[in-house]
Amino acid sequence: MPVEVRVFCGLESCIPGARSGEPMWVDIKAGESGRALLARLNIPEEKAFSFLVNGVRRDLTVGLADGDRVAVFPAVGGG
Amino acid sequence: MDKILRVNMSTGKTTTEPVPAPYAALGGRGLTSQVLLDEVPPDCEPLGPFNKLILAPGLLSGTSAPSSGRMSAGAKSPLTGGIKESNAGGIASQKIANLGYKAIIIEGKPAAGEQYLLKLTPGGVELLPAGDLAGKGGYETVALLKQRYGEKVGVVFVGPAGEMLMAGAGIGNNDPEGHAGRYAGRGGLGAVMGSKGLKAIVIDAPRTFDVPVKDKERFKTAAKKFADILHAHPVTGQALPAYGTNVLMNIINEAGTLPTRNFRRGRFDQANDVGGEKLAEACTARGGKATHACHPGCVMRCSNIFILPDGRSLGSLEYETAWGFGPNLEIADLDVIGELNYVCNDAGLDTIEAGCTLGVLMEAGVIPFGDGKAAVEALKEVGKGTPLGRIIGAGATFAGKVYGVTRIPSVKGQGIPAYDPRSCRGNGVTYATTPMGADHTAGYAVTANILKVGGDVCPITDEGQIELSRNLQIATAAVDATGLCLFVAFAVLDNPEGLPMIIEMLNAMYGLSLTADDVMALGRHILHTEKEFNTGAGFAKADDRLPEFFYNEELEPHQTRFALRDELDQVINF
Repeated sequence: MPVEVRVFCGLESCIPGARSGEPMWVDIKAGESGRALLARLNIPEEKAFSFLVNGVRRDLTVGLADGDRVAVFPAVGGG
Repeated sequence: MDKILRVNMSTGKTTTEPVPAPYAALGGRGLTSQVLLDEVPPDCEPLGPFNKLILAPGLLSGTSAPSSGRMSAGAKSPLTGGIKESNAGGIASQKIANLGYKAIIIEGKPAAGEQYLLKLTPGGVELLPAGDLAGKGGYETVALLKQRYGEKVGVVFVGPAGEMLMAGAGIGNNDPEGHAGRYAGRGGLGAVMGSKGLKAIVIDAPRTFDVPVKDKERFKTAAKKFADILHAHPVTGQALPAYGTNVLMNIINEAGTLPTRNFRRGRFDQANDVGGEKLAEACTARGGKATHACHPGCVMRCSNIFILPDGRSLGSLEYETAWGFGPNLEIADLDVIGELNYVCNDAGLDTIEAGCTLGVLMEAGVIPFGDGKAAVEALKEVGKGTPLGRIIGAGATFAGKVYGVTRIPSVKGQGIPAYDPRSCRGNGVTYATTPMGADHTAGYAVTANILKVGGDVCPITDEGQIELSRNLQIATAAVDATGLCLFVAFAVLDNPEGLPMIIEMLNAMYGLSLTADDVMALGRHILHTEKEFNTGAGFAKADDRLPEFFYNEELEPHQTRFALRDELDQVINF
């Protein structure tokens, strides 16, 4: 089952070949959790400060569905 | 900071006065708003002789307190018709403070066409004719005055937009390298300075960090601890220095609240092309800087130096500007955005207002969405003072009326910044209710709504937004009085040692025994002062609402509408 993943602000260094902010399709098991996805991508949980699924912040227990848009950020702020 | 400089532009007379006792504990926005209420009739003409322009460093400016170099500018706004405070980084604030001035009050009005330069040195004050600077752009004005008065001077200036009294004009000052790009941009304060016939203020101060503090050791210890708190927080210690304010572009886009195509949608497909990561790469690749301090002693260093393709150095490109000229106009090219920013800095125009105005012109079909070349050409008309340039310089609300646009993103006449209020509702509450007109900084609920800093409040429901905005508006008013950059709030909201350390610095500097309650009381007092001024200027409940289309049109991708109306009257209810 594919999910559309974007990682940002240095987290791309965890994934060989990944570029910040560019979409990657990742094949996961149906209902796989956010935590399992991070493990699959070798992103340490403590670096994944914001985990968004379809534009909504979720905790890492969230079960992912086919085609979900996932975005992972370290802590950021500005204005 | 034991004196106030009063400059009467009608008579050309300057006087230095002791600080009245009630003003002793005020600084920055706290002081500018108080002087306005005390001395300016709220129903006056903003560009007439009875309005006053007040510049005030914050309470901690000019000391070794980290990131404390903000300068507040205040006046009745020609854009909103209400009270206005807009603050800027850059090097002017620390210099003004180190010459001992707690505030500079510019009042009266000279004969039409006269232009002056105010020069401040340790030796005193001079008001000099400056007809030779008339019509000059921001970059040239700063370069000429540095050449004339010394490489290290601070220059506070207006561009042609301010001289031509355009309601979107800002007041600029220079960064340490001399870029004319640190703006108190919002609310048309550049037009007020222009109406006073004041082209520039040159500040020649040999010192930066030496404003007297009562208890030096105690202050030094507190300042060091505060710097440690900023260094330790991942936002102020890592993300802001690495990527600058434009680090926000992608997370606001992913959260679905990035205003795109004049607030039609909440996502822009090419947001990543104009985001902080790409900007940092571009700054470094062209020999600029991805990490830069806008004033000495800033530990967050969220500024940058962006070099345009032809080699001109813009200075800093910030998130609000990248959004206003980027997704808002469907422009996905950082070089075009940088050029639009350069034109604004040179003409002396607020980039947020200019972005909103170009969005409205695109909505009207005057320029096609996405057409960067046409946007640059249109914006260049501002400095020339052509009819189209004057329409753009007058701001989004006016431009919308001229072209019959009903989707105008503004509150109290001021353009809405880079967070759509439908899917970042805490900021929607702030836009509607702050006395400043649509201002994202006045109660930056993006923190808890999107960034999970200082709490976690769901951005697409109404629950908790009124309280969130109210508390942030009170705290922000207080921070704006200190001269600290508002971005310290990212660390202060998360670290229980943060606020006590700010209070410790204030107490050590002034020999006071303030508590956290006193600081919040100061914030409430400032908001009351501003509301009282606006009531006198004719504002009522109906002015504390968002434009109709935010209530009627759904925003993708969350299919949200703004719904809060009467509840908004409870925000400033204390």
